Amino acid sequence: MVAPVTGDEATLARLMRAAQTGDKRAYAALLEEVARWLRRYFRRRIAPERIDDLVQDVLVSLHTKRATYDPARAFFPWLAAIARYRWLDHLRADYRGRTSELHEDSAAEESDEDVVIARVSLDRLFEQLAPAQAEVIELVRIEGCSIAEASERTGQSQSLVKVNIHRGLKKLSALVEKAN
Amino acid sequence: MNTPDMRSLIDELAEDSAPVQPMRKGRGLAQALAAFVVTVAVVLVLLGARSGLMEGEFSAFFVVTNLLLLLLGIACTLAVVAMASPRVGAEHDGPRWAMVMAAVIPVAGVAAVAGHAGPVPYHWDEPLCVLFGLIAAMIAGSVQFRWLKRGAPVSPERAGLMLGTGAGALGTVAYGLSCPFNSVIHLGLWHAAPVIVAALVGRFVLARYMRW
Repeated sequence: MVAPVTGDEATLARLMRAAQTGDKRAYAALLEEVARWLRRYFRRRIAPERIDDLVQDVLVSLHTKRATYDPARAFFPWLAAIARYRWLDHLRADYRGRTSELHEDSAAEESDEDVVIARVSLDRLFEQLAPAQAEVIELVRIEGCSIAEASERTGQSQSLVKVNIHRGLKKLSALVEKAN
Repeated sequence: MNTPDMRSLIDELAEDSAPVQPMRKGRGLAQALAAFVVTVAVVLVLLGARSGLMEGEFSAFFVVTNLLLLLLGIACTLAVVAMASPRVGAEHDGPRWAMVMAAVIPVAGVAAVAGHAGPVPYHWDEPLCVLFGLIAAMIAGSVQFRWLKRGAPVSPERAGLMLGTGAGALGTVAYGLSCPFNSVIHLGLWHAAPVIVAALVGRFVLARYMRW
C-alpha cells in the first residue's frame, strides 16, 4: 500500500522521476494526485459533465508523453502545459446545445502550491484574450450556450460571435506555454 | 475524490508503465549537432568544398550570410528541442530575433538587384542552390523532426515553423560550403529561398504531423 501523498511540487516531481524508471506504485500515486489537481485546475473552465472526460484525456496524454518530462525541471508547469493543450482540444469540440450550470466545486482546496497554480492557471490564459473573445468562448464553449443566445447576451452579432470564438481559440493555442 | 472510472484508468495506466528515457535537452541538442555534422560531411564528400574555402578566399557577404544563417539555425534548433518538452513559462523568442537579423540577407539581395545597372547577372545553375539547400535541410532536420514527433509540442504550428526554418538555415549553411558563388545577389536570393521554402513547408505541412 502506497502511503498517501501530498500534492506539492517536490513530492510530485519525485514521484514522476520514479515513474519514469518504471515504478508502478509511485506512478499510481502520482496519477491519483494529478487527477485531483486537474479537477481543481479545470474547475469553471469546462462544463462540469465534461471534467471527467477531460481529466482522463490528460492522464492518458501524460502517460503517452511521460518521457517528455525533464527530471531537472519543475513538474507542475509541464503538467499544466499538457492540461492546457488537451483543454483547448475539448474547447474546440463542438458541444453547443449543452446547457449546464457551472458548479462550485466543493472539493477544491487551497494548497501550498497556490502560487504555482496561479502562474499556470487557465484564468491567466484567458486574460490574454480580448474581452469580447473571452466572453463568447466562455458562453458558447464552456457554458454551452448557442450562438444566438451568446449574441443576445453580449450584443455581438452572430457572425461576430463566431469570428471571436475562432480568433480566440487560435490565439489560445499559440499561448499554451505562456505564464503571465 | 476520484471516481471508480478514474481509478480504473489509473490502475491500467500504472500497470502499463514501463521505464522510459527522459527527453533531456542535452541529448536533443547533441543529436541535432550530429545531424548537422553529417549534413556537412555529405555535402563535402558528394559535392566537394568550394575552391578557396580553406584559404579564406570568399567575400565578406558570404561570411555574413552564413553566420546569420548559422545563428538562425542554432536559435531554431534550441527552440525545437525545448518545445518537445512543454512547460508553462517557456519562452521561445530567440528564433524571432534571429529571423529578423537573417532577413537582412534577402533584403540585401533584392536591393542589389534593384540597384544593379544593366542586366542582372545570372548563371544557369544558380537555382540548383535552392534544390541542394533543401536536400541538405532534409538531412539536417530529420533528427529534429523525429525529436518533435516523439515529444509533446503544444504549439504544433510554431514548432513546425521553427523546425522548417532551422533545418532550412542549417542545410543552406552546409551546402554553402560547396557553393562557388560569392555575390550579394546570388546569396541574397538563392540562399535565402531554401530557408523560406523550408519554413513554409514546416509551418503548413510538417506542423500537421506534430499534433498528438
